[in-house]
Amino acid sequence: MKTVRVWFRKTGAACYISHLDLTHCMARALHRSRIPLWYTQGFNPRAHMVFALPLPLGMEGARESVDIKIEEEQITMEEVQERLIRSLPATLPVIAVTEPKMKPGKIAWASYRLRLEPEQGSVEELAEKLNALLAQPEIPVDKHTKSGMAHFDLKPYLEELSASQEKETLKLSLFLPAGSEKNISPFLLTEALTAQQEAMFFCRSVRTNLYDADRKIFE
Amino acid sequence: MVPGLEKILLKVQKPGRYVGGELNSVIKDKDAVDIRFAFCFPDIYEVGMSHLGMKILYSCLNRMEGVWCERVFAPWTDMEALMRERDIPLYALESGDPVKDFDIIGFTLQYELSYSNVLNMLDLAGVPLLASERRGLSQLVVAGGPCACNPEPLADFVDLFFLGEGEEMDCELVELYRAHKKKGSSREEFLREAAHIPGVYVPSLYEVKYGEDGTIASVTPHSGAPKKVTKRLMLQMDQSFFPKSFVVPYLEIVHDRAVAEVFRGCIRGCRFCQAGFLYRPLREKSVETVNRQCRSLCETTGYDEISLSSLSTSDYSKLNSLLDELLTWTKEEKTGISLPSLRVDNFSTEVMDKISSVRRSGLTFAPEAGTQRLRDVINKNVTEEELMKTVTTAFSGGWSSVKLYFMIGLPTETLDDVAGIAALGQKVVDAFYANPNKKKGKGVSVTLSASGFVPKAFTPFQWEPQDTIEMLHEKQRHLVSSVTTRKIICNYHDADTSFMEAVFARGDRRLGPVLLEAHRLGCKFDGWNDYFSLARWRQAFEACGVSPEFYANRRRSFDEILPWDHLDYGVSKEFFRRECEKAYAASTTPNCREKCSACGAACFQGGICYENR
Repeated sequence: MKTVRVWFRKTGAACYISHLDLTHCMARALHRSRIPLWYTQGFNPRAHMVFALPLPLGMEGARESVDIKIEEEQITMEEVQERLIRSLPATLPVIAVTEPKMKPGKIAWASYRLRLEPEQGSVEELAEKLNALLAQPEIPVDKHTKSGMAHFDLKPYLEELSASQEKETLKLSLFLPAGSEKNISPFLLTEALTAQQEAMFFCRSVRTNLYDADRKIFE
Repeated sequence: MVPGLEKILLKVQKPGRYVGGELNSVIKDKDAVDIRFAFCFPDIYEVGMSHLGMKILYSCLNRMEGVWCERVFAPWTDMEALMRERDIPLYALESGDPVKDFDIIGFTLQYELSYSNVLNMLDLAGVPLLASERRGLSQLVVAGGPCACNPEPLADFVDLFFLGEGEEMDCELVELYRAHKKKGSSREEFLREAAHIPGVYVPSLYEVKYGEDGTIASVTPHSGAPKKVTKRLMLQMDQSFFPKSFVVPYLEIVHDRAVAEVFRGCIRGCRFCQAGFLYRPLREKSVETVNRQCRSLCETTGYDEISLSSLSTSDYSKLNSLLDELLTWTKEEKTGISLPSLRVDNFSTEVMDKISSVRRSGLTFAPEAGTQRLRDVINKNVTEEELMKTVTTAFSGGWSSVKLYFMIGLPTETLDDVAGIAALGQKVVDAFYANPNKKKGKGVSVTLSASGFVPKAFTPFQWEPQDTIEMLHEKQRHLVSSVTTRKIICNYHDADTSFMEAVFARGDRRLGPVLLEAHRLGCKFDGWNDYFSLARWRQAFEACGVSPEFYANRRRSFDEILPWDHLDYGVSKEFFRRECEKAYAASTTPNCREKCSACGAACFQGGICYENR
């Protein structure tokens, strides 16, 4: 038995699949692929699956991963990749299968790219509203956590935010704490922009990568 | 993707319902097809995607050259509000094209309370609701499914109904449509010819007259339509079309598993059960066919659970050999088998051991009535002794929770019969504690679920009045007060919805204006308790001057012309009358395997009627 890390993208309509549904979808794809899997030994045998970090609903993922356990003597990593590509819908393409180097628990940061399309006013006005938000002394936000609502200031986390205009969209890229310790969603920023600066826009978002505490890329 | 759709998807619950793109969904080249068929299920995605009939007909129609069948579901109210706000018309999931541009718009009618959704979906699609207001050949609205057996309440809105099983009939209709589209026929020309396809009922070709007492005086066909329309059915189940794959949804649906049909019809003849009569005669598939179909479905979908579906799966004559055959591969592939409809009287340890060898689900039985007298009235043919034997077997096999289904409001029922439900539940609890091998510290849970009886067309109880809402409430209270232990959980269905179901189950064409008014008042998702409002429905009935009690609570005489008398499902009205009279005498009728009772279904020249007994 050996653990391998399957790297895939979550694109297009697949961004509307919740994390829970993604786990079902992946389990069925594994079953269809007939990859010799290692099953848990309990009363209800299940294939082992660990996703690095769930994506929020509505966000695409450029470099997602799931760890699975295979019976290594029966199959190569290349074959795992080939069979999974055939079993998954086109919106969940497999890009690589590797040996895991880091534990998912080491993940501490994530990078995101957001594209905001104004639904009211021009992109310049939207950019002004963003600047006004960032110029506020603080950006108070609420976040659901396991122990209820947490209230905090988002501003200190936005130091690495960069914004640029491209035609009629405002492109943002940012690094935010991610992982089991502390996880800050970029949607807190877009929600604050709507709530505190009355900006109306449609947002497309992609999580581009995951990193450990030293900003080394998760592998 | 539909224009503007992605901007609203993140504002609604479960956007995965609205995007399509699932594994095994069928995408065709628009320019290479000449018939577009929108298969509409008048409920949400999770409910519709669980429905086997839709899966069969979707694949069956898409097998046809030049025909593209797509799926459409009712958007939940949050999505509907945004679609209306942003002028996004109802669209089909595969192409994203508006339903109003389709040639044929088909609905499956699984329950009466979905009728308001049929109207709402047509409205959301921008299709005129009334058949008389639709011009030209396209936007042909068709409907099938069990409720098509009394389609009269929908006669104003639907161009034609399919009676019975659709595998052949639907394709014949599509071919006829294609020929008429090529010729440039009018809607009327097409409908007149469609009425000659066996099983197709065109309501506009029948004139209904009413007498002074409000009952039907006559139903007269015109323009060459047949006097009686007889249902279609598949006689050779092994040769009948069955899909090799199912569309596999991303989000979890109600029945998220592979479903294999082991037979159609039912041998039992329970007198309340419409399905038991509509699908006669019993026609089984062979073990080889079912096994092959299960295997193919598991391979193409990746499901790790198979449900062996039918009206009463433990009545399958070769159940043990089928399970043996399935277990040769399911065990190794960690695939579970579930039997959704078990009977109390033929549940065996052997079957139990086989299905529990991989995975185990809860046990559910349906004694339907609490006392032997009443079980005889409804011809359930299950004894208390059999129930006790069965639950004892289950308890000694390690099961500790049992769910029992009952009906209240059955013909001839008294409060003692209702109390009998609680008493039966108590005996099941006692059986658990009487089991010597019971594990220490483990409790038992018995759930008694009571639904209100709804008399239906094509059953021996089709003439019966339904209990009034007040009577049903009294019986519900009596049931709850008769339960004396916390080991029994008791739940019952809402009497208001049972009442409305009864109205439409035996309604006639005068309910058309009521439906239209109810739709205007905002009735939709009536099968969902949080959305159903009896007050709103009453308002619609009042506005139209129609009494719902006339349909639900009135005893009909045996010689009354019933709204569905010009439709024929094989079982004769004389048989239903004989069965009704036997019910009053609490006299039972043997099942089809024991003895033929001459119901009339032998007219189809196949199935169990022609097997050696």
